Amino acid sequence: MTMKPKELTLAAALAVALVATTVAVPALVEARPAYAVPVHEGGEDASFASPGSQDWDAAPAATLHMSSAESGLPNASSTSVEQVDLQAVTTDERLYLKLSWADATRDTSTSDVREFADAVAVQLPVNESARPPIAMGGASNRVNVWFWRADGTSQELLAGGAGSTTPLDDTVSNASRYENGTWEVVLSRDLESSATNRTAIPDDRDLDVAVAVWNGSNGERSGVKAASSWHYLALGGGPQGPPYELLLWAVAGAAIVVTTLVTVEGVRRTRGES
Amino acid sequence: MSSQSDGGGSDTPEGVDLAEGIDHQVAMVMDLNKCIGCQTCTIACKTNWTEGGGRDYMYWNNVETRPGSGYPKDWEEMGGGWKSEEHAERQPGQLPEKEEYGRAWEFNHEQIFYEGSDEPLRPMDGAEWGPNWDEDQGAGEYPNSYYFYLPRICNHCTHPSCVEACPRSALYKREEDGIVLVDQDRCRGYRYCVEGCPYKKVYYNSVTKNSEKCIFCYPRIEGEGPEGEVRAPSCAEDCPPQLRLVGFLDDEDGPIYKLVNEYEVAVRLHPEYRTEPNVYYIPPFAPPQHSERGESLDSERIPRNYLEELFGPEVNEALNTIERERAKVERGEESEVMDLLTTENPAKQYRLEVFDEE
Repeated sequence: MTMKPKELTLAAALAVALVATTVAVPALVEARPAYAVPVHEGGEDASFASPGSQDWDAAPAATLHMSSAESGLPNASSTSVEQVDLQAVTTDERLYLKLSWADATRDTSTSDVREFADAVAVQLPVNESARPPIAMGGASNRVNVWFWRADGTSQELLAGGAGSTTPLDDTVSNASRYENGTWEVVLSRDLESSATNRTAIPDDRDLDVAVAVWNGSNGERSGVKAASSWHYLALGGGPQGPPYELLLWAVAGAAIVVTTLVTVEGVRRTRGES
Repeated sequence: MSSQSDGGGSDTPEGVDLAEGIDHQVAMVMDLNKCIGCQTCTIACKTNWTEGGGRDYMYWNNVETRPGSGYPKDWEEMGGGWKSEEHAERQPGQLPEKEEYGRAWEFNHEQIFYEGSDEPLRPMDGAEWGPNWDEDQGAGEYPNSYYFYLPRICNHCTHPSCVEACPRSALYKREEDGIVLVDQDRCRGYRYCVEGCPYKKVYYNSVTKNSEKCIFCYPRIEGEGPEGEVRAPSCAEDCPPQLRLVGFLDDEDGPIYKLVNEYEVAVRLHPEYRTEPNVYYIPPFAPPQHSERGESLDSERIPRNYLEELFGPEVNEALNTIERERAKVERGEESEVMDLLTTENPAKQYRLEVFDEE
């Protein structure tokens, strides 16, 4: 049996492509559970306070899909932002969250009666033993909200249901930039906090997180917002894809390669080329 | 839906609908026949409550010329209020533009007083619209042109759509007297109240990032007026022709109840917005139309349909009643309506301590 060099090259190329795909795909689709937001451990020398810091490149991003929150307010269903990228980093002392989203209009002013500013908020349960209702938590299951608005407002809020947000004494640190039609906002807080009604950030288990965004020039404010469903910050370690997923993908890849080669050989024999 | 309150319910006079949970309802009657458009009420309010701090453009009390565009410009076309008498669904509203309110202009005081300029005193730039910009313009053709002044404050409505519009319940009606207030701690500056008020009497403060409005001078009503006394709102007390009566709608012996419920000569502005205002107006009379030769004609100068547009069909019966009562006085007979409208006794104009003992 002799394979023509051309066929051999084609089969080999096909096999290589398949192997490459099987190895690359898991990385591309972020091999982790659907609602997990990976938490990157930042090194001592790294800096995350600024959204432009190159150290953020090492932190993987989760893409959160946004949809109009239900509020009963006028134009509640006409929100404009469809997705937000969320990156999370812990250092020895702080939790940093970086939120990036496309917004063609940079709205930073609230100084006219008709002006509303772009804004973003992160929602965390106060007590992570049970997942609170997504719409600002509930009376007996409250949430912390890290709120940033492009007019310079930055607040940490407590809420127990829609319309109940109340500022806490503490405030998250913030930094932002707007480049190429994209907002990048970093919000951070000390990991340790003994304040009441403030989320205790765990280091041994996951923490629920949800995000909301407002496009100011679209009249978005209050409950008129694009909101994500509950996700979680993977602070508890646990299965995050590799290595066992990589093993499964490798087995699958090898199987596909073998099948391809057998098929090529089968076709060749059927044609009576042996 | 209207319902009588628990607190004052059993004593609430017939025909008075108090908002749910409200003990009493403060109210005001403004006699438009007395308004000379001097804006003293406007300035009294401004010096008390809206000087600076993001409030420059706000006139919690304003006086606008009618017919005219009003303040903010064309506010009647901006929506708000309720779709039906059930008060279940609100009419969508819109936010006025800054230019529709008018900016707080800078004047050339410096040049005139200190630099010897002989220019007239005037705004330095950008004066293209402002409150009562169309002063005295009115409508109609000589010799039958007409106008009148319409002072406006927050109506402290029985069914306030601003309160319903707020997703945070930052606006509320005070239990003791039905005054509509914005809780400045609850407010987050969303401005749904500004959209929701069909009279455009809630204002956004871009410095505090909160909404603000007429408070019916509640500290004065509570006894913190000049010399620590109970006083009516300063727009009323400072009015040179004393055109305002202040009291409680549910005070059967007070001037408000008598003019509104008993004689039905005081009517609401734009009742079709269905918020049920608690500021009422005695509709304006004008001299009859004149012929080219200056003879009086048997024809009303202010078109009746214009008054109906403003005050609803109730204005007709109100005008008829006032005309009958005036005729009584002309014949030398007694008229309680005319007594109420012409009293110069402050104790009769302002009855604010009637429920104090409760």
